Amino acid sequence: MTNNVEPVIRVDHVSRWFGSVVAVSDVTFDIKPGITGLLGPNGAGKTTLLRMITGLADVSDGAVTVFGQPIRNNHALFGRIGVMSEHETVYGFMKGRDFVKIMGRLRGVSDLDAAVDRAIELVDLMAAADRPMGTYSRGMRQRMRLAATLVHDPEILILDEPLNGADPVQRANFQDLLRRFAAEGRTIVLSSHILEEVEQVADTVLLIVNGKLAASGGFRAIRAALDKRPYHVRVVSDSPRELAAALVTLDSVDAVHIDPDGAIMVLSSNVRVLQIELPLRADAASIRLFRVEPMDDSLESVFGYLVEG
Amino acid sequence: MSSVYLLTLRQLSGRWRLLVMSVLALMPVVLTESLVLFPSSVSVEEFELIVLNTMLAGSISPLVVLAIATVAFGNEVEDRTLANLTLAPIPRWQIVIPKLFATISVAMPFIAISALVTTHVAFNADATATLAVTVSIVAGLAMYASVFVFLGLATNQAIGVGLLYIVLWEGFFTTYVSGVRVFSIRAYSLALMHGLDERRFADTDNLGFGVAIGVSAVVFVGFVLLTIRRLRRMDVP
Repeated sequence: MTNNVEPVIRVDHVSRWFGSVVAVSDVTFDIKPGITGLLGPNGAGKTTLLRMITGLADVSDGAVTVFGQPIRNNHALFGRIGVMSEHETVYGFMKGRDFVKIMGRLRGVSDLDAAVDRAIELVDLMAAADRPMGTYSRGMRQRMRLAATLVHDPEILILDEPLNGADPVQRANFQDLLRRFAAEGRTIVLSSHILEEVEQVADTVLLIVNGKLAASGGFRAIRAALDKRPYHVRVVSDSPRELAAALVTLDSVDAVHIDPDGAIMVLSSNVRVLQIELPLRADAASIRLFRVEPMDDSLESVFGYLVEG
Repeated sequence: MSSVYLLTLRQLSGRWRLLVMSVLALMPVVLTESLVLFPSSVSVEEFELIVLNTMLAGSISPLVVLAIATVAFGNEVEDRTLANLTLAPIPRWQIVIPKLFATISVAMPFIAISALVTTHVAFNADATATLAVTVSIVAGLAMYASVFVFLGLATNQAIGVGLLYIVLWEGFFTTYVSGVRVFSIRAYSLALMHGLDERRFADTDNLGFGVAIGVSAVVFVGFVLLTIRRLRRMDVP
């Protein structure tokens, strides 16, 4: 287990394109021990990046090194890495225990039975270990795949959307497990398109948007950047002009304009205050509100803001 | 390697696949039994052409192998479980070789028994002829397996491409265009058959026994190497 603070994974000016489509464009970052969250909307290039980090896919340009060595076709390195891909397919005919065992055997695990039991206990699936995986729920399949990822006690864990299908209790257990591994000095890369999922565990965040590294660093700094961004809120009422006039005087409102369909688009840098003041102003002016909807609460818009910024 | 071999054996042993292979393997046996039960004027040469050459070596054997070999990698590429193997700290040949041998292990009983029973019935239990046909058909099976395992990794249209190869190349061109016969697995298989029992089978092929052994080895090993190379270079889904 490595305890130094040297980068364990180095991604150096990496690009990957498929024909004319650029999936990853000139991305550079280092990953050190601890939990690193790879965050980005669906289709941002996270999975392609992870596949290059694990050596499953080749780079079109640049270099990926793990422990200072090129990862591609370096099968000796694979024994130090545990990878859980986003694909949830399992060998349905195989019992969970047999799956973990075969993965352990392929990775040269000594004292295999003990390692298999330990891995399955970690994901709390002993009771179902001797059932065919075809009978598992989605969450159980994910947990058994995680057990197979952990069976050889890897120094690096690369997890692509690992919480898909997990219930809240499983999520909490999984996050505890990751924190424990990180405390042991392991390097964990966790990919997700859900902001909160990464926020709860990651020490460092890499934001990937449109195949580019949009931002990186500690979560608090990135979160602060997100909180400062102005939000668009669409308001439908029975008196848009009167409501616009009332809202424009608020400190929480940066700008207001009326769409051709009669809806008001409010730009606010303090949406929390706006959500309190908006109904009060409407009530005071006897204006009926039919609809209030945030227009850019999605992660895509957050990333869009960061990229533009 | 045994883990990959056993895993592949299990993946290839689907009930429907085994049933289809059983039916295909029975066809030459049934046809030969019919020829024996209802005597006709079929000569050894005609039997060799219709049953051994066209049916067993040219159709049944490649079709059975195609149904199995393309699945050896094809299914794992399709359902994206191949990474379970390629992320293991083992060289690529330790994935390819067991998968190839698992393919041969599943196909061989069907084809070998079919060839053995067919020849045993046709040639009145002539041991040399039976051995010659069975060994040569199994050698052909191994070559087809090597080609089709590669095909399963090289394209997601492996079944279609394989069928075209069997029908157009092995079935048509190498039958009617003598110049390209030297590039036919079926021709290598038949040349081996002739070489193993020159007494019974007419030497009508263009290849000698020694050349057939050499070319068969080159095809088998060549496609194994191509498969290993492909697995090293491809993006694993």
